[in-house]
Amino acid sequence: MTDLDNERDDLDGHTIDELSDYLDRGRTPLDPSIEGSPGCRIALSSLERLRQISQSLVEVDAAAEAPRNDDWLGGILESIGREARAGRDIPLLPPSPRATLSVTEGAVRGLIRAAGDRAGGLIIGRCRLDGDVTVPGTPITVSIDASVFWGERIVETVDRAREAIYSALLKHTELTIASIDITVHDVYFAQVAEPEDSAEATDSTDASASTEGDAL
Amino acid sequence: MGSVPLRFSLDEADDRTLAGRAADGDTRAFEVLARRYGPLLRAYARRILGSSDEVDDVVQETLITAWRDLPSLNDGSVVKSWLMRIVSHKSIDRIRARKNHLDVDDVDAVQPERLSPHAVSQATSLHEAVSQALATLPIEQQRCWVLREVGEQSYEEIAEQMGIPASTVRGLLSRARRNLMTEMEAWR
Repeated sequence: MTDLDNERDDLDGHTIDELSDYLDRGRTPLDPSIEGSPGCRIALSSLERLRQISQSLVEVDAAAEAPRNDDWLGGILESIGREARAGRDIPLLPPSPRATLSVTEGAVRGLIRAAGDRAGGLIIGRCRLDGDVTVPGTPITVSIDASVFWGERIVETVDRAREAIYSALLKHTELTIASIDITVHDVYFAQVAEPEDSAEATDSTDASASTEGDAL
Repeated sequence: MGSVPLRFSLDEADDRTLAGRAADGDTRAFEVLARRYGPLLRAYARRILGSSDEVDDVVQETLITAWRDLPSLNDGSVVKSWLMRIVSHKSIDRIRARKNHLDVDDVDAVQPERLSPHAVSQATSLHEAVSQALATLPIEQQRCWVLREVGEQSYEEIAEQMGIPASTVRGLLSRARRNLMTEMEAWR
């Protein structure tokens, strides 16, 4: 180990490990004895280059990775799909006093995603039902994370989604909704899928065309 | 409700959205994530394992664990590095199970399938040169280097995962660094 160090007498008394630690610290505080040594500076830059390339090595490998056949992933997805995320049971009004009826929290989240996505202009991310959903009448706050397509008017888009989600919850559950809070975490270009339903496509194209420039 | 016409493709969604939906039980969102990062997970596992033999198993375990643990991931935007972390743990677990209790220094002394010293100088790109240089190192050095530089893990984290002292990790990385720099001199 020390042999290699001794070979590197061009480092003005420093070692490669010291230089590496120095890089780890982001070259701060600036060390004049390192920065002032031509040998050290050359070693620093090759070390930096080595690290940069190393960092991207796996990305490069991944790009060259042979596509995996779908059966493999399909099998995994099938096995995880069986592990449903039911969450809490949310009671529905029973058809008779002797019967109980409930819907799972997971199903309600699915409902929220479907209603919000369908409202257009955004994609629903994670959603949370705050409050004791198992006790009928408890005020529930729905917190939703969403991303909005670039060019959409954020406020309008969010209002539209909130309305749609509210109606869906009203129609399909007996939750007492105190509020629906939608947080937009990202705005991005979406390649709007060529939908079979052309009415919706026109609608969405119009929305982005008319608000381009003044969104954000 | 499952067949509503969608006006976007989930394929375009950002990581945070997908991770959030998957955490809430959306298997389609999880599938997009698995397709997006599957190749990266495979490539990373292969680098850590040092062979392709167990890559499928490790990535499968990773995805199953990820699905199970996603609800506890608070910031979905870091799902990529989170998945990388899981796959490195699964890979190291494999290695540790495989060789039970081999002294690292012993392993270091064994030089498995070292490439010819000419491979680096004949590389046609910088990436290939680094890749070849890495391949000349003993596997433990390669592994530490990859965990450190690709996985951005600390010495302590690597040590804990591999079940070896942090000082050993430091030593392995030190040797890897020097060897790589020496190897790379052949390329210029």
